[in-house]
Amino acid sequence: MTYKKQNPSVDPVVIVMLGVLLVAIAIALVAFQPQSNSIDVAADSGALTQLMVAFVTGITTGGLSCLAVQGGLLASSLAHQIEQDYLARPAPGHLIRHGKKIKVAPEIPRASSAIPILLFLAAKLIAYTLLGALLGWLGSFLTLSPLTRALLMVAIGIFMIGNALRMFNVHPIFRYFNIEPPKFITRYIRRTAKGTDTATPIFLGLLTVFIPCGVTQAMMATALGTGSALMGAALMLAFTLGTSPVFFVIAYLTTELGARLEKFFMRFVAVVVLILGFVTLDGGLNLMGSPLSFQNLTRGWFAQPSDSVSVASPSAVDGELLLNVENNGYFPATLKASANKALTLNLVTNDTRSCSRDFIIPALDYYQLLPTTGTVQVTIPAQPAGSKLFFTCSMGMYTGQIVFE
Amino acid sequence: MKKQTFRVADMFCSNCAMKLESLEDSLDGVKEINASYHKLAMVVEYDESKLTEELIVDAVKRKGYTAVPA
Repeated sequence: MTYKKQNPSVDPVVIVMLGVLLVAIAIALVAFQPQSNSIDVAADSGALTQLMVAFVTGITTGGLSCLAVQGGLLASSLAHQIEQDYLARPAPGHLIRHGKKIKVAPEIPRASSAIPILLFLAAKLIAYTLLGALLGWLGSFLTLSPLTRALLMVAIGIFMIGNALRMFNVHPIFRYFNIEPPKFITRYIRRTAKGTDTATPIFLGLLTVFIPCGVTQAMMATALGTGSALMGAALMLAFTLGTSPVFFVIAYLTTELGARLEKFFMRFVAVVVLILGFVTLDGGLNLMGSPLSFQNLTRGWFAQPSDSVSVASPSAVDGELLLNVENNGYFPATLKASANKALTLNLVTNDTRSCSRDFIIPALDYYQLLPTTGTVQVTIPAQPAGSKLFFTCSMGMYTGQIVFE
Repeated sequence: MKKQTFRVADMFCSNCAMKLESLEDSLDGVKEINASYHKLAMVVEYDESKLTEELIVDAVKRKGYTAVPA
């Protein structure tokens, strides 16, 4: 029995330097706040928040979760490449290989180990960004109505929660939430990793889209839910960028250590995915106008007196209600109105750029993208006493209600 | 050639199955390995004259997992 030893000898200094550079680029990317409205996605603080979450997920859980197999592929590719470098550079010094003493260079140039890593990561970044664009584009056909979007979010939430429960090993049934890539793909990727030419790490980086880990699969589902090619691409770019520093670090770790690390961090990963799953599920329930969403269930628990406006207040005269649509939500979050009487809801925006502009009343099947600044009137038909009408933004993040008394 | 199923209870994702299948490349005498995370099992087809169950279990252990012949 023989083993092929695959210990990549990558200079840690190069890895750390490039890792720091990548983190800096990534932070600059997600923190970038354009002054103009030329790019709606970037101008939308809700979208920026989503990108930030994707990046943090990548740098924490995503990188660790996908660490073992993709890191192993990279390490394997590097090991072959470095071995080739050794054999191609006869110089003072020697190495025992297969029982024979052969001459080698005393040290590998740093560039020779850094370039394959960069090529691998660049290819991976491009592949996942394109995949995100494709998923977002496909999702655009599914976002015909807020209800479809809500159902998609609920499905994504359940998928994430199922994956988290799988990681906790709650029940064997949850293992089916993890999609196994076809055998012919995994075999092909494995064999490609043995190549020693420059194209190998690039090709391997591209092929990683076929072997996504659980967290990446969840992120892909989220990209699908964005319903936009641009947003889907940006989301996967931010996520993959976040995972990149981890790949730099594991480039000099053996596959065995990677596996141990992954096991060690699996619980942490599971907790984060579980939280993200519940947040997504809750967003879906909000979009459906369900009273069972966390926000709608707990609204009364932490309500401040200023959070609600009664029919006697100045903003609710003559069957009219006033709702301020701000960047961080709807104010007041609870409006009170007379039952059995139609009313007009005035939606007031003032330099509002977040997703709160995408105003939805699920029960009335009402959807409107509000102007950045201005007032939009909505006619609310008469509602019975004791009923509640929930409203939300298109992402299910910001919510509110009208209580009829 | 012999076909033997091993239970690998500590697989925790589908990528673990891929790592176990990579033993095809490093273990002399192995013809084919089919590992499944969903089943928590791997089926190894190997040459009995070159390899034993114990050596396979040992190789799996080096990958960070525990294989038990089923």
